[in-house]
Order: sequence, then structure tokens, then C-alpha cells
Amino acid sequence: MDSNRAAEHLQVIRTLMERSALYRRALAPITLQTGVIGLAGAGWGWFGGIDTAGGFGALWMTVCLVALAAAFLLARRQALKAGEPFWSPPTRRVAEALLPALTAGLVAGLLVVASGGSDPARIGWLPAIWAVLYGLALHSAGFFMTRGIKLFGWLFVLCGLGYCAYRVFFQADAGLPRLAEAHAAMGILFGGCHVAYGCYLSFTEPRKNET
Amino acid sequence: MNPEPFLQLDRVIHERGRMAIMSLLAATPELSFTEMRDTLTMTDGNLTTHLRTLQEAGYVAVTKSYQDRKPLTTCALTTAGRKAFGNYIGLLEKIVEQARNH
Repeated sequence: MDSNRAAEHLQVIRTLMERSALYRRALAPITLQTGVIGLAGAGWGWFGGIDTAGGFGALWMTVCLVALAAAFLLARRQALKAGEPFWSPPTRRVAEALLPALTAGLVAGLLVVASGGSDPARIGWLPAIWAVLYGLALHSAGFFMTRGIKLFGWLFVLCGLGYCAYRVFFQADAGLPRLAEAHAAMGILFGGCHVAYGCYLSFTEPRKNET
Repeated sequence: MNPEPFLQLDRVIHERGRMAIMSLLAATPELSFTEMRDTLTMTDGNLTTHLRTLQEAGYVAVTKSYQDRKPLTTCALTTAGRKAFGNYIGLLEKIVEQARNH
């Protein structure tokens, strides 16, 4: 065996070791489902006239829990259908990577809602905070998933920061009902972005592991 | 160049398919049969044959169980397998290193 072949073998081993540590479940259905739940939450908040801090917090934390539970169930269904263990090492790594930033988002939400009373100016920061933290969670998980997830995480971070900048520099009374803007931001960020990315994945992702 | 490292390469591992299986298993505590088959795009028969060879060499442990009443086959490296794979990689690195020094 010459040194080039040996180097090639080492490269193949490295690539395979990296690949086995990746989470491989189909993400298109999970992303689309999360987006639809996000849009439904935004519609409920906007048309339901939820304009209290408590209502806003309760609605969106419920939406988050429902989305997480639905994603969990869908991933489990995919694993069962493929005859693979659900709580596999890659799944565990992804969950562990998501956990710190999602916990921070939950605590930040509870703190802002608890301290904000019914002040929409204060609650209005929550979509930006949640988007940045969710983006960080996705970026962390992206180390154990396909590369696109890291970029998707960056999208949320940038959108969250962009929304912060909008609130700082361009916040004007557009005649919207109270907190409606925050519901719309949540709908666009968590609903629209997921649906758009889910559609993209539907056309680009390998279909082998889909339910 | 000293041919010794090449002669020491483990013939069981030094086959493309089995090296790929060992590489996958080295990076994770265990993997299901279907995950390996899909990742390596091998046929069931091909994977089974390679696994049997690795199992006979004592490098891979195969566990059969049930998940939601469906059979689930998982594979993991044994301690001997992990050690043999480490030695194999060490020898490959030695071959590359020797070429660099000449």
C-alpha cells in the first residue's frame, strides 16, 4: 500500500465517522409541520385579539410546546417506520445541543411576561429574543445535522437582530392593535421561515427516510 | 520505505466494506442495521456478510431486540474491535508519515 492510498483510506474513515454522528431523519415534514403550527399560532393571536402580556406568553409558549411535541412524535414515527431506534446517539446529541438555548428562551419569556405587565413595548422584544435564541439552538444542533441547519440558525439570529434594529430605529405607531405586531413577527419568523425552509427541503432532501 | 506497517495491517478490517462499517461504529456507541445499510448504500446481504466476518473476528457485537413489536438489529464495536481499529488507523498514519519523511 502506498502512502497516497493510506491517506485516502484515512480520509474515507474520517468522512464516515463524521457521517455516522449526523442526525439523518427527514427534516422537511418536521419543518413544514412546525411552520404550520407557528402560522396557526400567529393567526390565533392576531384574530383572537390576544393582547395581554400573559396571553401572549401563554399562547406562544403553548405553540412552542405543541411544535416540539409534534416534531418529537413525527421523528419517532419516522424512526419506527425505518426500523431504527428513535433515541439514537445522534438524536440525543441534537436534543442536548438544542436544550440550553431553548431553556434560555423559556426563562426569558417567563421573565419578560412576568415583569412586563401589559406593556406592549416590553413584550414586543420577545419575538426578537426568541428568534435569536432559537437561531443559536439551531446553530448548535447544526453541528450534528446537515449543514443547512446551521445556515437556518443564522437566518433566525439575523432576523432577530434585524427585528431588534427595527424596534430601536423604526418603531412607529402603525395603527395596529396592541401586540398585533408581535404576533405578526412571530408568525413571519417562526411560521413563515419554517414553511419556506420546509418547502425548500421537500424538493432537495433525499426522500428515503420520510414518513 | 519500511514495508512493516503495511504487513501489520489487519486483513479483516482492511477491506473497503468492513473498514466502512468499522468507521461508522467507531464514531457512535451503536447503530442499527438499517442505518448502516442506508449510510453505506449496501445491500442487506452484503452488509450481513461483512458483519458476520467482523463478528467472527470478535470486533462487532450484534444485538437483536424488538421496538414496538418490530425486530431491531443493532451493532456496536467490541473492546477488541475498538482496539483493532485504533491499531489499524495508527498503522495507516505510520505509512503516511514514513512517506513524508522520505
